[in-house]
Parts: sequence; structure tokens; C-alpha cells
Amino acid sequence: MLNLSTLSKLPLNEPDRQPDRHDQVNPAARHPVLEVSGFSLKFSRAAHVPNLVEDVSFSVNAGETLCIVGESGCGKSVTSLALMGLLPSPPANIVSGKAIFDGRDLFTLGERELADIRGNRMSMIFQEPMTSLNPAFTVGHQIAECVQRHRGLSGAAARKEALDMLRLVRIPAPQTRLDAYPHELSGGMRQRVMIAMALANRPQLVIADEPTTALDVTIQAQVLLLVRSLQAETGTAMVLITHDLGVVAEVADYVAVMYAGRIVEYGSVDEIFDDPQHPYTIGLMGAIPSVGKREGALATIRGSVPSPEQMPKGCRFAPRCPFVEQRCIDAVPPDKQLGGTHRVACWIAPVEHALSGAVA
Amino acid sequence: MNFNAPIIEARDLTKHFGGTRNLFTRTPTVYAVNGVSFSVQKGETFAIVGESGCGKSTLGRLLLRLIDSTEGRVIYEGKDITHLGTEPMRRLRREMQIIFQDPFASLNPGMTVGQIIGEPIALHGLAKGAALRQRVSDLLHTVGLQPGYAERYPHEFSGGQRQRIGIARALAGEPKLIVGDEPVSALDVSVQAQVINLLESLKQKLGLTLIMIAHDLAVIRHMSDRVAVMYLGEIVEMADVDDLFDQPLHPYTQALLQAIPASSPRQRRSKPSLTGDLPSPTAPPSGCRFHPRCPHARARCSDEQPVSETLENGHRVACHFWREIQNAGGGAPLVSIVSPKLTERLAVYRQRQAQVDGTIKEQSNKR
Repeated sequence: MLNLSTLSKLPLNEPDRQPDRHDQVNPAARHPVLEVSGFSLKFSRAAHVPNLVEDVSFSVNAGETLCIVGESGCGKSVTSLALMGLLPSPPANIVSGKAIFDGRDLFTLGERELADIRGNRMSMIFQEPMTSLNPAFTVGHQIAECVQRHRGLSGAAARKEALDMLRLVRIPAPQTRLDAYPHELSGGMRQRVMIAMALANRPQLVIADEPTTALDVTIQAQVLLLVRSLQAETGTAMVLITHDLGVVAEVADYVAVMYAGRIVEYGSVDEIFDDPQHPYTIGLMGAIPSVGKREGALATIRGSVPSPEQMPKGCRFAPRCPFVEQRCIDAVPPDKQLGGTHRVACWIAPVEHALSGAVA
Repeated sequence: MNFNAPIIEARDLTKHFGGTRNLFTRTPTVYAVNGVSFSVQKGETFAIVGESGCGKSTLGRLLLRLIDSTEGRVIYEGKDITHLGTEPMRRLRREMQIIFQDPFASLNPGMTVGQIIGEPIALHGLAKGAALRQRVSDLLHTVGLQPGYAERYPHEFSGGQRQRIGIARALAGEPKLIVGDEPVSALDVSVQAQVINLLESLKQKLGLTLIMIAHDLAVIRHMSDRVAVMYLGEIVEMADVDDLFDQPLHPYTQALLQAIPASSPRQRRSKPSLTGDLPSPTAPPSGCRFHPRCPHARARCSDEQPVSETLENGHRVACHFWREIQNAGGGAPLVSIVSPKLTERLAVYRQRQAQVDGTIKEQSNKR
């Protein structure tokens, strides 16, 4: 499926190429690369402390992108770090759940086994490229290092590989950049280096945590397009974590909307944008100013995200939801299947049915 | 909109950093702001937009004289304040305030919220004792916080609440002009919407003039009356907000607008609108500073600096070839696609929220 020869033969400069989102992957390759089920986590051993991440389930197929979207504190980054095995335990405590990757449960692997997988078959792109690159080594050295570590290549071969990777991510003058230190590169360039490192060993899965948040809008557009076309070419599965629905609209195949540690709505990107069901998703979409003509005040979601100590017992969005009813406060809403891949965890949805009722 | 007199004017403002000599070397000169001129009318929301390093924050600080300009003048209410002395400037600061981007770094962690908001009031001798405390609790109420919060410390608050505290502090001296340096960009979307709505209603209620420095074009479209687009220390285009978004003339503005992420998965782009990075402000390109990245650049662009041209409707643009680019269909207006179901549900959401807000108000009135 993924091999070295296809990657090195990739066309390098095809800005006009537009991968079609749903046809890009060979249907035979449509198998889950990662399957997370019933994942719950907290930073405590005490039984009375509520889970920070609660009963999260999703899967990602080869060549597809799942976007996990949510605001600060919703547990999206913690989920990604837990998958990579990067959360120190204690204090992190995986209460339940499985994450099947390559036939094995990531949550049960030891540090050594994880180290073999990380940066190899599974890699990560972080938000801040300045702090994730080592300032004391050239970018060529850093890319070569991860190739040597996992594939046992010689120094010269690894350096050549690093050069190919820099070309792949469309870095201008790659030969000279190979010997550049991170501080000598711009933010967009550093993020490309991060992407080159993440892809260097042809991973099956890339987890990208807010990969373009620190970038300017014109650079963000370049990087998102790059990620999309590289992914179409390599068939890598991607979990992209973001707070920006614009980024979701640009790159997602599937979307999981997270709120306070739970997935409140899940579906294909068209399902989520055409038919948003959860009041939180609706509020979030209404809170974004439009680039079109101005239309009155923005919709808001009142209040703020609950702190882990004050996690509501029922639906975690209940205290901020304008449609709240008694049952929302009392019990956790089950996932409602809506056809296709679309599901929503809400007692009320669709909200238009609730309008006739009285305010609780 | 009818604006009468300019509240603040920039005339050929220029700021260079560095260029100082030490024992052996000379530090490179950063040409942060170059010959920028504009005026802001009373009651208007004026936005300055650009990418990081374009000089927008430096410009904001120059206007408030938090830093001094290398050349050029700042005129506040018809008076040249470029070289105003420390003491009269301090008194004037009451009228011109700033809201910073990072609500975590801009509040003193050792002071209570009451002290933070009360300090400018005491400093300018506006109130004392019980009157001061009353004023602080009024301000907290104005920005949507409970008056009881005055006793607490900044670390006890979320980002959105801290930004409200920052706004309350800016309002404490009863300013006429507020500069917001990316005031909402560090906030989550839902909280950002709350703060934007708050800023807009305060502006209405208190008759403020707002200068918004921002990089988020959607926020700017939503909030501003006029917009100046900056690139490498220069204003390349300036226009009424609708003119700018519906008919961008400068190729940089066009690229910037096209780079905004799609509002729907049906609008995905296939090409980046701009390639390359912002050049270093220590060695700005010759001629038009945008020419190395401009898809329309020609020989003249690298030789000759374009002069800013003002059209009949007040639209200002600094590009040699904007007419030809416009005829070639360069600046197509942006459309945002909103699904019919979202539109319907959003209406239901707002209606329901208004009902709930009404009930809460009734209950608190009864108490």
C-alpha cells in the first residue's frame, strides 16, 4: 500500500492538481487504520472525579481525514496525546477503551513498542513548529535522524532522504535549507519541515494538532493544500485537531465535534455542514462571523466551558444550551443514529421540533 | 454613516527599529512602518489588517504614542501630539486606551480585579473611596461580569472573562478612542462572539471610536466601517468595508481574501492564492513591496514604487496596474455558503436563546 518507490516518484510541483475528496482513494484501500472505542480518561485515580474525556469512539480510514473540532479544554489535544502515548501516567489515567492500530491496542503497549511505532508508522505534527523542532540541530539532521532511527539507513542515504522530503513538501532551495537551523526559517517553512519529518517514514497515520493555527492566513492556505495533496498521494490516514471550522471545511472527510470531553456530533463533512444537529454545533457555526455581508449580531453560546471539577452529570452542554430540559440535566443523552455516518448525542435534536415547547 | 471630524490622524508615520551601531557591527534596520497616512472619524470602527510582521501593531502603538515615531506626525482632535511632553500625554491617555491580545499576559497577577480596574480611575483622579468602588462595580456590570468579582484575582478567570476585565480597565478612564490589538484572536470561537458583541454594543452605547488591529478578515468584515490593508509597513489599500470585500482592487487584498478558509466543504480551493513568504522587513523589496509575490507583477513594479491613488468613493489603492487587474476579473466577491438547515436552526437557536434571556431577566428583576 505505502512503499518507498511510489513516494519518491511523486510529482513535486503540481499546484493545479485538485484531488477529489471522495474518489481519491482506491475503494479497496478503504479500511480503518485506527479504531478508537469507548475511550475515557482522567487525570486522577479517585473514583469520584469525572472523566475528562468520556466514551469517545471514532475510526479513520486509509487516505481519509477525520477532523476533531472543539474549543479549548474539550479534550481534543489530550485525546491525541493519549493515542501517541505521550501522556505521563500518572497523572493520566486511561479509565477504559481501546485504540486499535495495526492490529494492536495502543493503550496496552509498552514504552519501547510505542517508541518503535511513533515517528514511524504513526507520527504527529504539532501546533508550534518553533518549539517542536530542536533549535540546536539543522533541519536536515532532524529529518535524517528519524529516518535512521526507524529504517537503519546510513548517514548519506538518510541525508538524501531528508532532501527528498524537503522537496516533497515544496520547500524552495531544499539543498541549502538542509543545513539551515530552525530559527533561520519562517513559520510556514518550519511547519513544512515538521510535515516532512512526520511523513519521512511513510506513516499509516498522522495526527496533526492545530497544524496551521500559528500561521498567517495565506501561509495556512498553502499548508492545508499541501497536506491535502500529499495525503491523496500517499494514502496516509489523518486525524486533524482544530478549533477552526474553516479548516474543517477545507480538509475533512469526516468530522467529530467534541464538547467537554465528549463527541456530541459525528458525520461526514457534508452531513455536518449541511445538516448540523447538535445545539453546540449550531451555536458554534453561528458564532463565526461571515465573510459575506454583515447580518446583525453574532449568535453566541452563553457562559463558558465547565471546569473538570464541575462537570455536569447529564449532557455536558446542558448549562449553556438554550433548549435545555429536565432530562438533559438528569441523564447523558445516547447517540442518535441519523442515517449515513451521522450521529448526534442530544435529547432534543432536531432543534426545530423543540420550538413549540415551553422554556424549562 | 455620517462622520464629522477626524478624531485621530496619521501623517506620513514612519518607524524604523534598530540600525544602531555597537563596537563592531551595525544592527540591521527594521523598516516596520513606512509613510503611513490615514484619518479615523469620530464614532467609526477603523480596521487595520495584515499578516504577522506587516507593522500593524507597531502602527497601533505609534498612534497611542506608546512608542515614538521616526518620522511623521500624529494628530489627535486637531492637535499635533507627536512631541507632546510626558505629563500632558499622561493626561491625554485617559481618552485613548488599548486592549491587548493576550488576556493572560496583560493583567497584573498580583492585583485584584478591583485594583486593576480602579487604578486608572484613581490615577486620573476621577473618583475615590466608595465612589471608586461603585464605579468599578458599574464597569464590571457593563462588561457583563458580576460586581462581586472585584475581590478576585485574574488567575481565577477564563480567557473570555479576562478579556472582559481588560475591556473594563480600558473603559475606566472614560476614553473616546480605543485601540484593540487583536482583542479577540486569543479567544475560543464561542467566547470570541460574546466579546465582539460586547465591544459593538459598548461602542454604540458610549459613542466610542474603535481602531481594530486584526488578522481575521471575517471579524473585520463583521465589525468595521473602514479597512486599511497593510503589507510590509505600507498601506496598500483602504476602503469602506463593503467596497473592500466586494471589490478588492489591490492584488494583495485579493489574495488575502481568497486565502480565507472556505465556509463550506463545497467551496474548497485548488490553488493557493499566494506563494512564498513575507519578505524580511530588514530588506524590503524595491519598487512595489509586494512584487516578488504578486501574480500580476511586471518590470515596472520592481523599479517604481506605486503612488496611492484615491477614487471617487474614497477607495484608496497603491498599485500600478489595478485597473487592468480589475478588468481581468481579479477580485471576485466572496460568497459564504450557509446550508438552508443551518439557517433555519440558527434562527430557532437565536429565538430560543432570546426567550431564555428574557426569562432570566424577569427572574432577576423579581428578586
